[in-house]
Amino acid sequence: MIPAPSPGQGDDKIISVRNLRFTYEGGVVAITDLSIDIRKGDYVALVGGNGSGKTTFAKNLNGLLRPSSGIVTIRGRDAARTAVPELAKIVGYAFQNPDYQLFCATVEEEVRFGPLNLGYSEDDIRRKVERALDAMNLQHLRDKPPLSLRLGERRRVSIASVIAMDPDIFILDEPTTGLDTEESDMLMQKLQNLNVEGKTIILITHDMRLVSEHAKRVVVMSVGRIILDSDPRGAFSDLEILRRSNLEPPAVTKLAHALKDKGIPADVISPQELVFHLLRGGESR
Amino acid sequence: MTGFVDLYTEGNTFLHRVDPRVKITAVILLSILAFVLSSLEALAVLLAFIMVLVVLSRTPLAKTAFSFKFVFRLMLLIVILWPLFDRSGEPVIASFGPLVLTEPALLRGVTSATRIGCLATVWYILMFTTQQRDIVRALVKLGIRFDFGLTLAISLRFFPTFSATIGSIMDAQRARGLEFGKGGPLKRTRNYVAVLIPAIVSAMRTADGLSWALQSRAYGARLDRTYLRDFKMKWSDYLALAAVVLVLVLPLTAKYVFGMEL
Repeated sequence: MIPAPSPGQGDDKIISVRNLRFTYEGGVVAITDLSIDIRKGDYVALVGGNGSGKTTFAKNLNGLLRPSSGIVTIRGRDAARTAVPELAKIVGYAFQNPDYQLFCATVEEEVRFGPLNLGYSEDDIRRKVERALDAMNLQHLRDKPPLSLRLGERRRVSIASVIAMDPDIFILDEPTTGLDTEESDMLMQKLQNLNVEGKTIILITHDMRLVSEHAKRVVVMSVGRIILDSDPRGAFSDLEILRRSNLEPPAVTKLAHALKDKGIPADVISPQELVFHLLRGGESR
Repeated sequence: MTGFVDLYTEGNTFLHRVDPRVKITAVILLSILAFVLSSLEALAVLLAFIMVLVVLSRTPLAKTAFSFKFVFRLMLLIVILWPLFDRSGEPVIASFGPLVLTEPALLRGVTSATRIGCLATVWYILMFTTQQRDIVRALVKLGIRFDFGLTLAISLRFFPTFSATIGSIMDAQRARGLEFGKGGPLKRTRNYVAVLIPAIVSAMRTADGLSWALQSRAYGARLDRTYLRDFKMKWSDYLALAAVVLVLVLPLTAKYVFGMEL
């Protein structure tokens, strides 16, 4: 159980956002008033309908966008006063479309690009690149031109190029869009590994199955604010909020809701749990 | 990097309502006039006339200022550069070693800058008051082949999309620690390769997808295509056309028939 964020909860707070407001040039208010704390090692699923402000929020965390008002603190530093390359060492951001960043002749060069920009030593870069290639299972593709790879592989290259920069926080914007189940499960497993290593993951996604299987915390956004912040179990039991945010709970949770009259609890998030409750229901009858 | 990707502003002024074909003709005629006139006074009057039309189009001031900033810079550049290459005439206003500034050269520089100013701004009247699709449709009506018109329409249509893509690409590379506008010229150029290649790849993917989409909707099956909305000249359009022809013919008559120095 992850408790709701409360101020003054020790030093493991890696991200702290207070009253963030962001208005795009032209007057579109994308974030109205957002406050959140994220702790080191957390795995946050950032979900919400299109246009709810997820990506805008995420871009405020790595300095690509600067808050119109409010304070974003990353590992104790004010993000608004920190240069993007400095923030890039702490906050890695993998864009939804890998093709927006791939331009090198080989996968290896592509992965080197980030740490090279950050000015690490050659030895250091080599080590980081190897680790990143290993982490995303790309060793066998290292000499291939990234643009010739399949979408799932290109995504892995783009994420590997973030891993090579060795940030503490990973923001992934819909990393599984367009991937088949196998590719997507493999990618999610790799991200899980990063989280186990102690990295903080912020996953922007529409896929509630992935959220239920991987995230420790679900943050639901709607029209520029957070409307729900809880563990997956709590989030999926509130069908009304999910519907309001155009989100679809995992099929197994919907099934559990449909079986409410038979004494199945509403907060089931995995098939195993449902089987457990069904069998127990059968015994007591 | 901010700007207005579409110059058109919704409106209901006379300039918005008049047939786009008349507007295109008017812009071409006024451009011809800018070439024919040679005196600074006459060109200045023409520029003022164009500015009056811009004001009448009720285009927001911010958009006008943004658009004309480039024109103004270009004019300034011409005034500054002209005397560097043209040192003929008397009297000399100033001289620094080999650099000589003469009054006639300065006058010629200002005159050319004003002419370029006319030629550049007059097209904005069309762009400010006409939707892109109407411009294209009018060009096709005027006899340009439909597929050329469609090509033009598509390039205009994808301009905002493409500039948004470039913005995203620059963001993506900045997130990887790339700093634009830092380092020597060579490094800067190399930095832009990181934007250029993804931009070209993305444009080619878009173009490829677009051509499939066009074909799957039977594009090119018929050459004599029809339109849902057609242009029809009203009496007010003919009146506007006549007025524009007069604006061209009167100064020309004055210059070439009556020998006035315009």
